[in-house]
Amino acid sequence: MHRYLQGVRGDRAFRVITLGSLIIITGFFIVIIVSLLTYTDWKTIGSSFLAPETLFAIKLSLITASITTILAVAVAIPVAYAISKNEFFGKNLVDSLLDLPIVISPVAIGAALLVFFNTPLGNSINNNLLRFVFSVPGIVLAQFTIVSALAIRLLKSTFDNIDVRYEQVARTLGCSKPEAFFKVVIPLARNGLVASGILTWARAVGEFGATVTLAGATAMRTETLPISIFLNLSSANIEQAVALIVILVIISLVALLLVRLITGRRYSI
Amino acid sequence: MIEIRNLSIHLGDFSLKNLNLSVKDREYFVILGPSGAGKTVFIECLAGLHKIKSGEIWINGDSVATLKPEERHVGYVPQDYVLFPFLNVAENIQFGLKHGKYDKQHRQKRLASLAELLGIDHLLRRDTFTLSGGERQRVALARALAISPRILLMDEPLSALDVQTSKYLRLELRRIHQELGVTTIHITHNHLEAEELADRMAIMSAGEIVQTGQPDEIFFSPQNEAVTRFTGSLNILDCSSCRELVPGLIEVNCSGLRIVIPHDEAEMQKIAISPRDIYISDILPPGPSLNRFKGTINTLDAGTATARVNVRVGNVALNAELPSELAKEMNLAIGQEVYLILRLRRLKALGNVEPNRSEKYGWYYQEII
Repeated sequence: MHRYLQGVRGDRAFRVITLGSLIIITGFFIVIIVSLLTYTDWKTIGSSFLAPETLFAIKLSLITASITTILAVAVAIPVAYAISKNEFFGKNLVDSLLDLPIVISPVAIGAALLVFFNTPLGNSINNNLLRFVFSVPGIVLAQFTIVSALAIRLLKSTFDNIDVRYEQVARTLGCSKPEAFFKVVIPLARNGLVASGILTWARAVGEFGATVTLAGATAMRTETLPISIFLNLSSANIEQAVALIVILVIISLVALLLVRLITGRRYSI
Repeated sequence: MIEIRNLSIHLGDFSLKNLNLSVKDREYFVILGPSGAGKTVFIECLAGLHKIKSGEIWINGDSVATLKPEERHVGYVPQDYVLFPFLNVAENIQFGLKHGKYDKQHRQKRLASLAELLGIDHLLRRDTFTLSGGERQRVALARALAISPRILLMDEPLSALDVQTSKYLRLELRRIHQELGVTTIHITHNHLEAEELADRMAIMSAGEIVQTGQPDEIFFSPQNEAVTRFTGSLNILDCSSCRELVPGLIEVNCSGLRIVIPHDEAEMQKIAISPRDIYISDILPPGPSLNRFKGTINTLDAGTATARVNVRVGNVALNAELPSELAKEMNLAIGQEVYLILRLRRLKALGNVEPNRSEKYGWYYQEII
């Protein structure tokens, strides 16, 4: 094995394997996307796009994902900062607990939320405070439960990369701890904040498992883009489903390109 | 004035133990020590960035040990300068002013005077990531000075710079200190910086201050091995007689060795030279015969990078250092006869009369030969 890795032949083989893998995996995704576009024509996609059900799904998805993102990032900023900059007993346990929604199946999380709303406390919240089960607030709650973990993870990594000495210098220049946070840490984290906001939003737009379990799949009521795809596939309305998938792909692609554009700025922390 | 009494702090495995230090008003004080000696932790304690375990810190008569960093009014220049990358040069300098009770007019005036003092007027609109190392250092210094601090703390301010820039900025630091007169603590691992800048200095090793005094006292009378390591194991020779050859050039008799040294006073007790400033040659080198001596190798210790040689010249034994490769090339061996050349401008004199420091160190600033 060792001698195959040496010399010009080894270098060439290494290059072929790494670049070959890249070409194969990129090709795999391109084939899937192209198959969507060839399955139907742009005219059908256009007309499906303008269908009231599609417009409702797009509108509901954009609104719920935006509310979810604002809530998730607002919670994630202090939480991520606290984990990033403090050492405390049980930190690893807390850190792992916050990561759970990233690895657990969203359906399981949706089901857990549903079970919670069947407990006396959950029932009381659902009946007296805000109705979550099979309703639009349920979509936001389901999305929030899934994506807040992602927002915390992304922001923690941003805060980890900010040298504590920036805050220290700001303190010696007269800032209190909160002032140093808002006047130094937040500007330094700006790119990371925007990037994690976009990724969180894109993930919220695509959330399905937890949403369908908690908020249900009721047409023109709790019908987000992924739920609409599911409903259309269930009723064998493939063209409509394809149009919705194309929209979802475009939204996600634009979001990811934006993240790369922002994080590739001239100074990044 | 800064007064530190019995300062102790524990940070993980590292600790500072019962540090005592007194820095006079308007003094430029240098703390010299190796990496890991605790220098950075020490000045971070003064800036309020670590909670101390016990002890007292007094600045200009006020006890500040329990104050937060923002309440201490201390100028702090961290290593690598830590300029805010989202602000331009002018905004960086004015950062501290925006948190004080200063109006816009005062801020502009202060910015202009500091920019002029530090020679950075032309950089004010630049983004910080476009600056060179020397420019960043001056901006960081301006930012720290903008708040008119009671004291100035500098953490290895010259260590990230190339030799020429560092040399130039040592002069600049001295000039700025003379103009502003702010009490300064500067920490470094470079003994040349300490020699050139310090009014007084301290040697720090393993979390303790092992010697404090004027650079001459420390370099000529190191109290222990830790101090000697930092003063470069100087060759210190007693002078039995001196005579002026021409104004500014003295010939000194050190146990029979006649050494020429640039000095204004015709009286001196001791002279010193670092082993790094003594050249060794196996053949008689060309050129004037000033400060050249023939001797015999007493001991030879060839390390991986540096070879240490002890050479007996008459009644005097001198330590010299040279790259191991060169020692190997010359086939140096114990008992071999070699020629020593003492670098004229690296000879230090301890006179009976203490000249003022600018006279004393003026010749250091010249290009060494």
